[in-house]
Amino acid sequence: MEKILQVKDLELSFNTQGGEVKAIRGVNFDLYKGETLAIVGESGSGKSVTTKSIMRLLPESSAEFKSGEILFGGRDLTKLSDKEMQKIRGKEISMIFQDPMTSLNPTMPIGRQLTEPLLKHQKISKTEAKKVAIDLLRLVGMPKPELRMKQYPHQFSGGQRQRIVIAISLACNPKILIADEPTTALDVTIQAQILELMKDLQKKIDTSIIFITHDLGVVANVADRVAVMYGGKIVEIGTVDEIFYNPQHPYTWGLLSSMPSLDTEDAKLYAIPGTPPDLLDPPKGDAFALRSEYALKIDMEQNPPFFKVSDTHSAATWLLHPDAPRVEPPLTVIERMKKFPGSRYYEGGAL
Amino acid sequence: MAEKLLEIKNLKQYFNIGKANEVRAVDDISFDIYKGETLGLVGESGCGKSTTGRSIIRLYDATDGDVFYEGENVHGKKSKQELKKFNRKMQMIFQDPYASLNQRMKVMDIIAEGIDIHGLAKNQAERKKMVYDLLETVGLNKEHANRYPHEFSGGQRQRLGIARALAVDPDFIIADEPISALDVSIQAQVVNLLKELQEEKGLTFLFIAHDLSMVKYISDRIGVMYFGKLVELAPAEELYKNPLHPYTQSLLSAIPLPDPNYERNRVRKSYDPAVHDYTKADDVRMREISPGHFVQCSEREFESIKAASVIN
Repeated sequence: MEKILQVKDLELSFNTQGGEVKAIRGVNFDLYKGETLAIVGESGSGKSVTTKSIMRLLPESSAEFKSGEILFGGRDLTKLSDKEMQKIRGKEISMIFQDPMTSLNPTMPIGRQLTEPLLKHQKISKTEAKKVAIDLLRLVGMPKPELRMKQYPHQFSGGQRQRIVIAISLACNPKILIADEPTTALDVTIQAQILELMKDLQKKIDTSIIFITHDLGVVANVADRVAVMYGGKIVEIGTVDEIFYNPQHPYTWGLLSSMPSLDTEDAKLYAIPGTPPDLLDPPKGDAFALRSEYALKIDMEQNPPFFKVSDTHSAATWLLHPDAPRVEPPLTVIERMKKFPGSRYYEGGAL
Repeated sequence: MAEKLLEIKNLKQYFNIGKANEVRAVDDISFDIYKGETLGLVGESGCGKSTTGRSIIRLYDATDGDVFYEGENVHGKKSKQELKKFNRKMQMIFQDPYASLNQRMKVMDIIAEGIDIHGLAKNQAERKKMVYDLLETVGLNKEHANRYPHEFSGGQRQRLGIARALAVDPDFIIADEPISALDVSIQAQVVNLLKELQEEKGLTFLFIAHDLSMVKYISDRIGVMYFGKLVELAPAEELYKNPLHPYTQSLLSAIPLPDPNYERNRVRKSYDPAVHDYTKADDVRMREISPGHFVQCSEREFESIKAASVIN
């Protein structure tokens, strides 16, 4: 499969008054053409910072690339000038934000906001741009698009606004769409509509999507592959089935068990103890070790490398080292693994 | 049958009454809350679930209808003394742990505010001790008492909000989306804490949320609201296994679950209020289909639901 974006050994820090916050501490991943890669993790895990650094949306006064590269179309995005970056933003790579109210300009009719990227990036006339904009609104399922072009954001509901934001982001047929918690502010029924819309559009225009969320239900719904982030690093990456049915990292176990499923019985909910690490002074070894009941001695001292589970699946945990003791994952995780051919708890049958 | 703690009768909460933009946020709803249970209230934003909670605790003056707390009406004309009595029994935990704590007050004073108002501590030493105990109850420690809210994480702040609610030793707590602003792993911590407190102190909860899997986990019974009306009320298990109102069905079918295989096969139902085809003559109200399972329906719908459940 064609790699459309490669993030290599990315390290990024924020220089703050309190010192250097190591927000991203060596992130590696590839994005393939036409796929949806979900990045999950708690707030502060570095998921938003990773994507904002791809878009170069971080304040240059404080954010600093320490090392690594972001390769897109043969170029390293970390090295481009602002001018060059402007040609990529909104055209080749575009972004949808969490809150559709703040990402639209409340003082501008939505028609003008839709035509803005078209006029900026494509050499077309205003009338043509208007036509394209109306088509886009129709594409995202907005009724009476001609009439609605003149309306202002406050005249739309939350779900409609997010549709407009999606329309704007797709205006120039971007190769990559970054969606940062695009449905978190929406109701479940509206969320379901927006997710369906995004999947549908992705098929039509064949763009790659990086989808950031902390809702594992949404991940299960949209993702082809999943990267789990913790403490500024990816700790596990694999296909959606591998992450949900054969997870290997204790943090992934914790995440999966702390969400009640609809048939969780009255037992106590598993809660990951403690709080995320302080990235001003990141722990020496495995950042999750302090909160993990599965931590080994070596976790406190040495950061685990990635161990391969399959061609598409790897996890950074010492538990996968051949010399590591065999541990039993939490019960809810074993239940999941029973369904997965290839896991050591597999009980037969198809997924 | 368990003892009723609250009876909500024909509660109505309208805004902008008589104007063109009149909003019927809560439109004639009735239900009971039993002692020691957790009643979940779910629905889309704008359906009136938060307004219901706020009207019950008298943050709004209800347009019409009554709320009885242990047989006494909460609404209506009340002296300061009487109001105080209710305020001690009912407390609220809010959604946003950033906005609901006064940033200029120390944790000690935030938590002790209720204690002071109700004169629950005889002297400074006792006040201090009460706050320390409360902090411990919610999993913080006494060193935290001298800090300001901004020094805490979201999950910790929500614990402070819970400690503040517990300070006056209430029987009934309205939790309005208490975990929506928190991370998944922290959500579980807070939900576990609420459950523990309920067992220890025999608290009764009204738990308002839109995260349906969490609501099912914490609630004994669940009410579903749609456009200011309560459309279905049932024991939690029953509601999920056997949703009867088409809106409840559509809501349940929209929840994404952390299970890719389920997601690939999930069929979403949409809800169109027109399916009911109600006429003016129809008497649309809550009817009991099976013990404890109420659905808003007309006589005609009631008969057909009954008939269907006999076949099953």
